Amino acid sequence: MDILLKSAKIIDAGNKEYHLKKRDILIKNGVIENIAPKIEGTGKVKIIDYKNLHVSIGWFDSGVSFGEPGYEERETIANGLRTAAKSGFTDVILNPNTNPVPDGSGAIVFLKNAAKGQVTSLYPIGTLTKGGAGEVLAELYDMKNSGAVAFYDFKCPLKNSNLVKIALQYAQNFDGFIYSFPQDSKIAGKGIVNEGVVSTRLGLKGIPALAEELQISRDLFILGYTGGKLHIPTISTANSVKLISDAKKKGLNVSCSVAIHNLFLTDEALEEYNSLFKVMPPLRTKSDAKALLKGLTDGVIDFVTSDHNPMNIEQKHVEFDNAAFGTLGLESAFGALNQLLDIEKCIEILTKGRERYGLATPILKQGYKACLTLFNPDKTYTFTEKQLFSTSKNSMFLESTLKGSVYGTINNNRISLND
Amino acid sequence: MSELSVKHLLGIKYLNKKDIQLIFETADHFKEVINRSIKKVPSLRDITIANIFFENSTRTKLSFELAEKRLSADVINFSAGQSSVKKGETLIDTVNNILSMKVDMVVMRHPNPGAGIFLSKHVKAAIVNAGDGAHEHPTQALLDSYSIRERLGDVGGKNVVIVGDILHSRVALSNIFALKLQGANVKVCGPKTLLPKYIESLGVGVETDLRKALNWCDVANMLRIQNERLDISYFPTTREYTQQFGVNKAMLDGLDKEIVIMHPGPINRGVEITSDVADSKQSIILNQVENGVAIRMAVIYLLASKIK
Repeated sequence: MDILLKSAKIIDAGNKEYHLKKRDILIKNGVIENIAPKIEGTGKVKIIDYKNLHVSIGWFDSGVSFGEPGYEERETIANGLRTAAKSGFTDVILNPNTNPVPDGSGAIVFLKNAAKGQVTSLYPIGTLTKGGAGEVLAELYDMKNSGAVAFYDFKCPLKNSNLVKIALQYAQNFDGFIYSFPQDSKIAGKGIVNEGVVSTRLGLKGIPALAEELQISRDLFILGYTGGKLHIPTISTANSVKLISDAKKKGLNVSCSVAIHNLFLTDEALEEYNSLFKVMPPLRTKSDAKALLKGLTDGVIDFVTSDHNPMNIEQKHVEFDNAAFGTLGLESAFGALNQLLDIEKCIEILTKGRERYGLATPILKQGYKACLTLFNPDKTYTFTEKQLFSTSKNSMFLESTLKGSVYGTINNNRISLND
Repeated sequence: MSELSVKHLLGIKYLNKKDIQLIFETADHFKEVINRSIKKVPSLRDITIANIFFENSTRTKLSFELAEKRLSADVINFSAGQSSVKKGETLIDTVNNILSMKVDMVVMRHPNPGAGIFLSKHVKAAIVNAGDGAHEHPTQALLDSYSIRERLGDVGGKNVVIVGDILHSRVALSNIFALKLQGANVKVCGPKTLLPKYIESLGVGVETDLRKALNWCDVANMLRIQNERLDISYFPTTREYTQQFGVNKAMLDGLDKEIVIMHPGPINRGVEITSDVADSKQSIILNQVENGVAIRMAVIYLLASKIK
C-alpha cells in the first residue's frame, strides 16, 4: 500500500534540509518515494491528512519489558510491540525480564522470531550471567551472534566485582555491550523507596542515593582498569549524573540512561502509598529530577527509556511493601517528555541512542526506508486508562497532565494508526 | 457536638490539634467511667468491631478489646496466624469477607507501612490503625500525650526525648507527630544506626548523648529494642547498648530535676531501663496502660458517631 502524508511538519534537526518545513511525503513499498511541498495522491494510496501533523524519524526506546515467555499475563510480545507502535516507537530494546530469562542463543532466537511481522522492531538483551543469577557468565558471544544487542541481569545488582571485571574484558573482542544495574544491594538493604524526607514521614524503608552512587563509582573504576563498553541503565540521582560526567571527561567508554518517570515525578507522589509509584530505581527528590533532566539535555545522559514494565493487577493491588516494582511507560513517554522539553529537544532525545547498540539511525530522505513517527505535539490532556494499550494497566502517569499525542508509526513496510 | 475531622484513625499526621483535644476530653469522661464500679456504658450497642491483627500483639489487642467491650460494642477477633491469609488471600479480600458479616469498624495491626491507608481506600468501614509497620501507632501516641498531660498538666512547651530504636519504631513516629502538633519540643536519642538519616526534617532534634538528653528533658519515653525487627546488627551487643542508652536510677537521681519516665511496653528490664527506674514514682508506665483503654474508648466512640 502507498501512503501519502499531507502537509506534515518535519522535525529532523539531524538533517537540516527539511527541518521545521511542512511537506507532503509519499511512501511506496515502505520506502520514501518523494518529499515535496505538494504531492498529488494517485491510484491506490492511503492519504493521511491529520490536524497539526508532525513527523520525525521513528522513536527509539532503550529498555522495555514484555513478560513473554513466562509472564504473558503481564504482556505478550505481540501486544507489547503493538503498544510500542501506537506510542510512537519504531525500535525497542527488550529487557531480559521473562521467565526463564534469555541466557542463551535459543532464547534470543525465540524473541526475534516472536517479534516478526510488526511495525515496531525488537532488539533483545540477553542476561549477563546464566539464569541471571549473577554468578557465571552466560554465552555472550553466541547470544550476540543470534541478535542480542547487550547483556544485562535485569535490575539485579552485580555483587561480584570480579564478575564485572571479567565481563568487561571478555566481551571486548566481539564488541559486547555490558550493563551493570546501579545499586549496592547491601547498602540498599530492604529499601523500597528513596531514602529521604518522604520515606521518613511514611515509615517506608529507604534506599539511600549512596547505594546507587557507590555501585556506579565501583563500575567506573573497574571500567577504567579493563576498558570495554559499559552501560549504566536507569540512573536516578543527581550525584550519579556527576559521576558519569566526570568519567566521560576522562574518556571512559560508558553510557547511561534515565527512565522518563524519574524525570517527571518525585517521591512526593508516594504520600498515599499508591503502589503505581513503586519503581526500581525509586522516584527520588525534586533536585534529583532536575539534575537528571539537565544531564539529559546536556548529553551526559545518553538516552531515555520508558522503562516500560507491565504488571498485572494482582501484583499491584496489594499493600505497598508487597507490590511489585514497575510502571507502564510507553504510552505516556512522549506526552511526559514533551511536557518537560521543547518539541525539537524532545524529538532529538526520543530518536537518540541506536548507534550505541550497533543499530542504524533511520534517515528521513527520499530513497530511504520509511521509519517514521506521526504525532501532534500541542495537545494537552489528562492521561487516563483509555490511552493505555497494554494488557496490564499499571501506569503511574494516570491522571497526570501530558502534552502531545501520537498519531501512529510507519516502519517495516507497515503502518500503525491510533484511530 | 464536636466531631473528628477524619473518618478513620490512620495516623496522627492526618489529625489536627482540635481532634486531639476532642479525643482527650472524651477520654477524660471514659476514664471516669472505667473507674466506676460498673465500668461499662451502652454507647455502641449497635456497632460491631473486628480486631484484625496480622502481627503479634498482646497489650494493644487487649486494650482495644476492653475498650470496645466497655462501650458495649460487639467484638470479633481475627489473627493472621489462624486465617486464610496464609493460604494466599489478599488483604482486601480478607477484610471484605469480614465486612460482609456486617462489621462497622476495623481495628487493624499490620506489618506493612500504609496498610491501613490502602485498606481505607478499598473497603467500606471505619479503620483504626493499631500499628502499621514502621509507620504509625496513633493510639499509642495519643495515650502517651494524654499521660503526659495528666502528669504535667499540659503537653505544649514540654521537652520530650524519645530514646532508642527510632528507625523501626511506629511509636516514635506517631509520638513525634503528636507532640509537635501540641507544641512540645522533641528530641530523639539513640545510636546513629537507629536514627533515620532525615529525622530532623520532622522538626525534632538529635542527641546521641543520653545524659545530655535526660538533663534537657521533662519526659523521657524509653522505647523497646525491637530485636525482631533488626534484620542486621545495628549495635554489637545489648550489653553495650545498655551501657550507652540504658537509664538507671543513679542517673535519674543525678539530674537537677525529676523527669517523667515512660515506656510503651513490653519492657526489657535491665536493657532500656532498670527495674528500679521502671518501678519508681517517676515512672508512669502503668498509667499509660490504664489511659490506653480510655483513649481507645474515646477514639472508637468518636469514629462510631461518624458512622451513625
